Amino acid sequence: MVTPDGRASRRALLTGAGTALAGGTLALAGCGSAEIGKQAVKKTSARVQAKDIAVLNQALALERRTVAAYIAGMPLLTFSQRKAARQFLNEELEHTGELISLIKAAGGKAPPRADSYALGHPIDGPGVLAVLHSLESLQISRYLEWIPQLSPGPVRAAVASILTVDAQHLSMVRVLEGQVPVPGPFVTGSV
Amino acid sequence: MAAGGAGAAGLLALPAAAAAATSSAAQPPISETDRLQRLIRLEGLLLYCYRHVLASGILAPRARRTLAPFPGHEEAHIAALERVLRARGGTVPPGPDSVATANRYLANRGVGGRLGQLKGHSDALYLLLTLEQVTIGAYFVALTKLRDSELIQLACQIMANEAQHDAMIGLTLPKATPGSAVPYGLVQGLQ
Repeated sequence: MVTPDGRASRRALLTGAGTALAGGTLALAGCGSAEIGKQAVKKTSARVQAKDIAVLNQALALERRTVAAYIAGMPLLTFSQRKAARQFLNEELEHTGELISLIKAAGGKAPPRADSYALGHPIDGPGVLAVLHSLESLQISRYLEWIPQLSPGPVRAAVASILTVDAQHLSMVRVLEGQVPVPGPFVTGSV
Repeated sequence: MAAGGAGAAGLLALPAAAAAATSSAAQPPISETDRLQRLIRLEGLLLYCYRHVLASGILAPRARRTLAPFPGHEEAHIAALERVLRARGGTVPPGPDSVATANRYLANRGVGGRLGQLKGHSDALYLLLTLEQVTIGAYFVALTKLRDSELIQLACQIMANEAQHDAMIGLTLPKATPGSAVPYGLVQGLQ
């Protein structure tokens, strides 16, 4: 079960090879949330769609800012930190793709990326990690504010599946910073 | 990405959100009180399993240190959900009171691995990992249906915390890294 690559090992678990996973009864999740969300948002009224588009556009802007921070900060990280950051960057890019899909399904058009983002001026790895920490925290706190405003339940759930990954990123950034990775029972984005 | 793996393993079932949508005509809608009771039952099972595994001495010291705060988190989740449930006049369901009961609940939820029969460190970690993913899946499904804003926010905060637990358990697996502990860009858990 345990392979030299922990990632492969977890994938194996999720695809049914795990010792703790009984076959046949559990469905793999991790895909399709945006599809379900897209179907749901298409069925809502124009007024609801417009409200959702406004929220999703804000979320997209924040995700793009975080993507920019990962790209800009990576050269200052150590090899092992960079390896993790590359993985998280790919996942943040996936988030932008999911949000754009939802915006389009609601009849909207994703706004263009900003020309530049104010990310501070970190000069070393710890400085970069501090920026990533604050951006992941900001995303979490904003998602917690925005998700209840989204109208179709499946869209809320689809966006929550992004929030959960940002919470995982935050824990791992905290690990890289030498901090307690899961400081409390409720993820608020405040620390 | 994930769908292919699940399909190949023969595990792919209809995602719960889609299933809920298609089966709504056949089954009466589940009330928010019922959903809260379901979530509390699952949290109770998770708490029982954490306590059992941590008390069994089966985990390596590093994993034991990592997981030590998690039962406290689960207790806080249960307390928060119970407060909401009681405010709605609901009855709080009891958690498992014995290993046999917990194992029956694990079987009912399709989770392989049984308390008291775990062969070692990895078996214990994979059981907890799978149960965390089942719990995340339950919150994901709940989020497609919940309507109360405060409850939605609470469900998001807890779901994100369970996802952090999931990542930290992943990080305790052999040769895991912060990158490999967060292998997916979207997390919906197991449904």
